[in-house]
Amino acid sequence: MTATPNAAPAISCKGVWQVFGVNPKKNLDRALQETGGDPHETAQLLRRRGLIPAVQDVTFDVREGEVFVIMGLSGSGKSTLIRTISRLIEGTAGEIRIGGEDIFAADARRLLALRRDKLGMVFQHFGLFPHMTIVDNVAFPLKMQGMATAPRRARAIEVLELVGLGGREDARPHQLSGGQRQRVGIARSLAVNPDLWFLDEPFSALDPLIRRQLQDEFLSIQADLGKTAVFITHDITEALKIADRIAIMRGGVVVQIGTPDDIILNPVDDYVREFTRDVPKGRHAHVETIMTRPDPLPEMPDDPKLGADMTIDSALAACMSLYQPVPVWGRDGQMAGVVSPRDLAAALKAET
Amino acid sequence: MTDRFSPGTRAAALTLLVGLACVIFAPLAPWLVKWPAALTVPATEWIGAVVTWLADALKPLARMGARALSWPMDWAGWALIQTPFPLTIGAVTALGWHLGGWRMAAGVLAGLGFVLISGYWAPGMTTLSLVAVSVPLALLAGGVTGIVAYKLPALRRPIHVLLDVMQTVPTFAYLTPLLLLLGFGPVVGLIASAIYAAPPIARNVLLGLERVDPDIREAAAMNGANPWQQLFLIELPTASRQIWVGVNQTIMAALSMVIIAAVIGGFDDIGWAVLLTMRKADFGNSLVAGLVIVIFAMLIDRLSGKLAETRPVYSARITWVILALTVICTLIAARHLPASNAINLLGGVTDWMNATLGRFIAAYGPLLNAIKTNAMIYLLLPLRIGFDHAVTPMTWGFQWSAPISAAYFAVAALLAAWLGWRGRLLAALVLLLAAGVLKLGITHLPWPFVLFGAGALGWVAGGRGLAAYAVILLAIILVMGLWEPALLSLYLSGTAVLICAVVGGLIGLLSALSPAMWRVVRPICDLLQTIPMFVFLIPVLMFFQIGEFSALLAICSYAVVPMIRYTRQGLVSTPEDQVEAAISSGANRRALLTEVRLPYAAPVILLGLNQTILYAFSMLVIAALIGTTDLGQQIYLALGQGDVGLGVAAGAAMAMLALVADRLVQGFARKQSEALGLE
Repeated sequence: MTATPNAAPAISCKGVWQVFGVNPKKNLDRALQETGGDPHETAQLLRRRGLIPAVQDVTFDVREGEVFVIMGLSGSGKSTLIRTISRLIEGTAGEIRIGGEDIFAADARRLLALRRDKLGMVFQHFGLFPHMTIVDNVAFPLKMQGMATAPRRARAIEVLELVGLGGREDARPHQLSGGQRQRVGIARSLAVNPDLWFLDEPFSALDPLIRRQLQDEFLSIQADLGKTAVFITHDITEALKIADRIAIMRGGVVVQIGTPDDIILNPVDDYVREFTRDVPKGRHAHVETIMTRPDPLPEMPDDPKLGADMTIDSALAACMSLYQPVPVWGRDGQMAGVVSPRDLAAALKAET
Repeated sequence: MTDRFSPGTRAAALTLLVGLACVIFAPLAPWLVKWPAALTVPATEWIGAVVTWLADALKPLARMGARALSWPMDWAGWALIQTPFPLTIGAVTALGWHLGGWRMAAGVLAGLGFVLISGYWAPGMTTLSLVAVSVPLALLAGGVTGIVAYKLPALRRPIHVLLDVMQTVPTFAYLTPLLLLLGFGPVVGLIASAIYAAPPIARNVLLGLERVDPDIREAAAMNGANPWQQLFLIELPTASRQIWVGVNQTIMAALSMVIIAAVIGGFDDIGWAVLLTMRKADFGNSLVAGLVIVIFAMLIDRLSGKLAETRPVYSARITWVILALTVICTLIAARHLPASNAINLLGGVTDWMNATLGRFIAAYGPLLNAIKTNAMIYLLLPLRIGFDHAVTPMTWGFQWSAPISAAYFAVAALLAAWLGWRGRLLAALVLLLAAGVLKLGITHLPWPFVLFGAGALGWVAGGRGLAAYAVILLAIILVMGLWEPALLSLYLSGTAVLICAVVGGLIGLLSALSPAMWRVVRPICDLLQTIPMFVFLIPVLMFFQIGEFSALLAICSYAVVPMIRYTRQGLVSTPEDQVEAAISSGANRRALLTEVRLPYAAPVILLGLNQTILYAFSMLVIAALIGTTDLGQQIYLALGQGDVGLGVAAGAAMAMLALVADRLVQGFARKQSEALGLE
């Protein structure tokens, strides 16, 4: 979770459009000319002409080593965007650079090489090959690289152990549970040790409990490997939990890009606010985003030892611990007991 | 690696050993190759006696039923022929508009117009009258069977088995016992076609009912419907689409069988017209008559197929206008209308076609003959009687001899050794088996080898039960004394299936890769599947005369379609996420095809192969008309001689062969699906 803000971007998208329909390129050019390049009006014009502008004029950079989450409801264009970046579908207009290289200009051979060496992808419905064993599934990208049988099996088993599936290598996909299947998907995407890691709603098809488990494991793997990851989700809590930065999409447009704290505390519009409304802010926002540095410093007799990266809930609990226990009154007007403010705060931050 | 001790490898190795043993001991024990006549059960006579006794007992009743049936049949025939043709054409055109708009109406008009000017209007109407009576019978019988099977789950399995058998028993085999029972006459064709056409509707009714959403069924029950209300008000209407699919298949089957029944003769229908003109080598006229059949088939298929689709509502007013116009025109022209059988505008055309065909044969006869002869010498003969008999100075220019044999097996052994060394033991064993079969010829295979091989296949595909099933059915054929024609059937259908698998597989593959190709192939497949089997004989006969090669061509052109369709379908239906996963793993087009699409499609392709095998078997019997020597020919002969024992026994043998092949391939398909976790 440590992004170095000054590194060169791993992925850079500039004015990316993805339009579906007849003759998308031509129609987009014409519409852009007619509207003088205004993206919003262009999109409306395209819709009127029966085309679907799934991604509209999207611009952002993904930094080296960060987890960049693209979040939005279904139909917001997030899956289309990640497929445009990985060029599973051809973009209509704009520029996407991966490690400085113009990906739209890459020919088939170069694209193949990129996919074999630099990119890994995890799919919502796993995309496992039913006719192969687990280990063959994981070794498939290595096979495509042309690696010999023995080393590729060894590497695949190594990755399987990383995702906690050691010993199951000769099972078939249908013999595994959903969570285990996605572990295989993750292992496969990491087999070639890619620089860029694309995850398309990897945990959306799983039960909530398994989902949480895999999120934690994703974080621990990511802490070890430090990949540059583009992660798609429709779940705001998932986004807040794993993201270094979040891009929120609606109707093909990126409406806000920011750190989880930014998104929670300073939503740009009602749409984003609506998303974060049910999020317990205290659990996701951090002290450093709301602290100030007054000059001169006021008198501060108490010091609960707050850290800048503490969540607001934790900080509150720490502050509360400074207070003495207080009485609690029963319905009959008699004192029923005592409670310590510290215990109250601790009860609130029960699970994180 | 794991292949080394797989069941397939073990089964192949044992089969090879049995084959070797048979070949080694054959000179000492000739009964290994030829089943001794002394041990043959005179099954054909027994069956003949039983069936004849049964038929005699049932005859009075059956004949009464036949007489009862001949009423509506005669009436329908009379009505269809006596109805002035403009009225018929107009009414069907109106129906075409109602079901499919102006395109369908135009199709009907053009099609029936051709029938009219072809001079085959009257025979055509006779055929349709038979269909018109047999279809309701089939629908009633099949529909009731389907509902009973649905309502009484205990009966479901036996009914499924019965339907399987009914659909694998070759068409001609129905005819002989019916002839005995009912005597000569069109009623035989009628009943045969009703029996033959009942299974599709039974199957589809059952399937449709089984597929009704449980929610709907439970909602009906909770709303207070009793079981019969539930069935008729809720379940049957919900299943209607599937049922209409069944209706379409039933009508097509009835038409096909009515035309085949023409071989009994004595009834002036369109099938008889084809048969007669074919026998006279008047191919111009057989083509025209065949075309009439194709037109009927296509119109009936498209019209009844529309019933199973959601279709736009076409204005009823126009339907009425067409009908009114028709009636008016008919009334005005009634006096001046020529009799329908007096119209024949194509006489000149057929003469010209015959002349052209004559010139073509004169010019390219040697080429056609060369094709035929080469196919016989280099493909059919070796498969049939093996290299050691097929390779003679007359055919290949030299005599097959012991040293050649030795060299041949040495090469095979070397190849096998190389494959084995590469770790592909199963492939090596299969290669050796194939070499042995080619050397001996399918019809000279020792019976223990065939039985053991079938058992081994069954064991690999479905365990002990399937192995026993295959061995027992084949043993029955052996003991009945029909082994030789059965092997001939196996050889002919096997060759056809092999060709279909290669050619159809390739076309299917190309169609999957190129949508443009599929746009061309698809309508051809549609057409080939609509044409009744009988019609395939005409063009083959025109160019290659009577003989095994013509039979093979006819079988292939009929049986190749499922292979094409299923191969393509299997290849294009790979789930999108798997395709994307493979591409993002760096698979190129080739790797995507061989590593992901093909393995995923394997079970579907196997089902296509299964269909192709069944198609080939059913065509085998029809091909008997143009010169084969197998079981189909026995059935056909029995029909001519009224030998009911031989007819039933040979028909049963044929059905058993088909059932064994069907179960084996389905077993492999199921295994493959299970390995993919699809079932």
